[in-house]
Amino acid sequence: MGEILRIENLCKQFGGIVVADDISLTLDAGEIVGLIGPNGAGKTSLFNLISGVVQPDSGRIFLQGRPLEGPLHRRARAGVVRTWQHMRLFRSMTVIENMLVATREYPGESMLRSMFATASVRRAEAEARARAMDLLARMGLTQTADNIVVDLPFGQQKLIGLARALMNDGRCLLLDEPMAGVEGSNYETMQRIVRDEASAGRAVCVVEHNVSFIKDLCTHAVFMAQGKILQRGSVDELTRSRELTELYFGTVDASVDA
Amino acid sequence: MEYLASAGMLIGIYIILAASYNLIIGYGGLNTIAHPIFFALGAYTAALLGIGTTLPSVVCVLAGIGVAVVASVALAVTTLRIEGDYLLIASLGFQLGLLQLVNNFEFTGGPAGLSNIPVTITGPGRGWLYLLICAVLAVVVVWLIWRAMAGPFGRAVRAMRDDELACAALGRSLFTMKIVIFAFGCGAAGLAGGLYAYYFQYISPEQFNVAQSATILTMVVLGGIGTTWGPLVGAFVLVALPQAITFMQLPTSLVGPLQGIIFTVLVILFLFLRPYGLVGKREAGVAH
Ligand SMILES: Nc1ncnc2c1ncn2[C@@H]1O[C@H](COP(=O)(O)OP(=O)(O)O)[C@@H](O)[C@H]1O
Ligand SMILES: [Mg+2]
Repeated sequence: MGEILRIENLCKQFGGIVVADDISLTLDAGEIVGLIGPNGAGKTSLFNLISGVVQPDSGRIFLQGRPLEGPLHRRARAGVVRTWQHMRLFRSMTVIENMLVATREYPGESMLRSMFATASVRRAEAEARARAMDLLARMGLTQTADNIVVDLPFGQQKLIGLARALMNDGRCLLLDEPMAGVEGSNYETMQRIVRDEASAGRAVCVVEHNVSFIKDLCTHAVFMAQGKILQRGSVDELTRSRELTELYFGTVDASVDA
Repeated sequence: MEYLASAGMLIGIYIILAASYNLIIGYGGLNTIAHPIFFALGAYTAALLGIGTTLPSVVCVLAGIGVAVVASVALAVTTLRIEGDYLLIASLGFQLGLLQLVNNFEFTGGPAGLSNIPVTITGPGRGWLYLLICAVLAVVVVWLIWRAMAGPFGRAVRAMRDDELACAALGRSLFTMKIVIFAFGCGAAGLAGGLYAYYFQYISPEQFNVAQSATILTMVVLGGIGTTWGPLVGAFVLVALPQAITFMQLPTSLVGPLQGIIFTVLVILFLFLRPYGLVGKREAGVAH
């Protein structure tokens, strides 16, 4: 399968805290990679580095062979899109408005074009709306389209966070704890959509503490602690490793620093 | 009757100023109080060209808009790249500094200002014709802002106000949006300046100082910040009210303090009773 994202020797330090210590990783099309590790391991920081929220001290990132650099919005337009651990939905806006803002090519980029609502703007808007409604239908959330997003139950908000990211039809999808606080039918939906998106050719990386979610979904996983990738392999291998399990539950011993 | 036309002109000019300032702070979330300096740039550019050249007045007004836009883009490009409220500080510095220059240069008339701005329209209908032009332009400015904010651009701007990081991470260029908003708003202030100069035929630096900043800010806050109609209502009330007080023919020693007291009381009352302004309503989602 084609390589979508390649990270080479990424390093980042905040003062004394090392959040990325020589990280190298590739994500292939159709693949769902689980990113696991204790709190503070640097998982979110890795997403921040890829999406451009913070700049690395050294190392490089490539998206489909091209260097991925520059400000946040340029990376999103290149096709890297992420969700946030704390969702960061647009609170004053409806579900569909949240989603419409997120298309890769945005018809409202220009104030002048938007003012005069040219035919091309209207066409692009109609297309985006249709795509958004399709996505909502896939999630069984059609009837929520015109609700203010923060009025929805928590689990549905998490789904909208994913739906908004999916409006960006880029090839690389980064999900930061999509399952935290999600239960029941929303859980099933999340799982189904993520799987479908990967099958459609996206490269997906999921940070998740829910091990059964990782087990069900991921082809393989990466274990991180203190900014380092300590182990890669199948999910089974990782969860069987005694050393990693110990690390996960906070009993970090001095040997990790070595 | 000329008196009514001139009051109408002021209302129209302030509607343009308040609506464009609302675009900048209310919608764009850009902190600045230096709006009058772009009003001044439009007024002085139009006036100086009108006095010194034979260019048609429309061209002089357009040049005023151009100068205001160029100055605003230069200010925004240099300050918005940096995190923090540098636009506020830089634009205030720009306002105070430029007014200082205008006060001291000879060609700008110094503190006395420019009073020899040429007559463009003559005859008994002058006031009403100007009022018509001004009203049409005010409607156009308000309509354009409303159109932009009701469409996809406005949606992205609201998203930016809700969460800058999330908005940028979805591909929207906050920098571009802010620059465009600032340039459009300041260009509109430049237009208001050109209208003001040609109608009143007299401008002076004190009309563009920080007190003017406060007046425009009060109009926006009073009417309802971040709303379409708020700045219109605010501009109308704050121009009409003092005119009405003048109309009551009270002793002049009373008028000044009375106006001051009424404004202060109004603003304080509004902050408590209608924090979202006359036409603003509590936005859905804010309470959560
Ligand atoms: N912008 C920042 N400035 C300083 N420290 C940070 C910053 N971002 C993250 N950190 C620190 O880096 C470490 C890793 O955080 P994070 O990537 O959020 O971990 P995880 O997502 O794996 O729980 C934490 O100790 C955190 O406090
Ligand atoms: Mg995290």
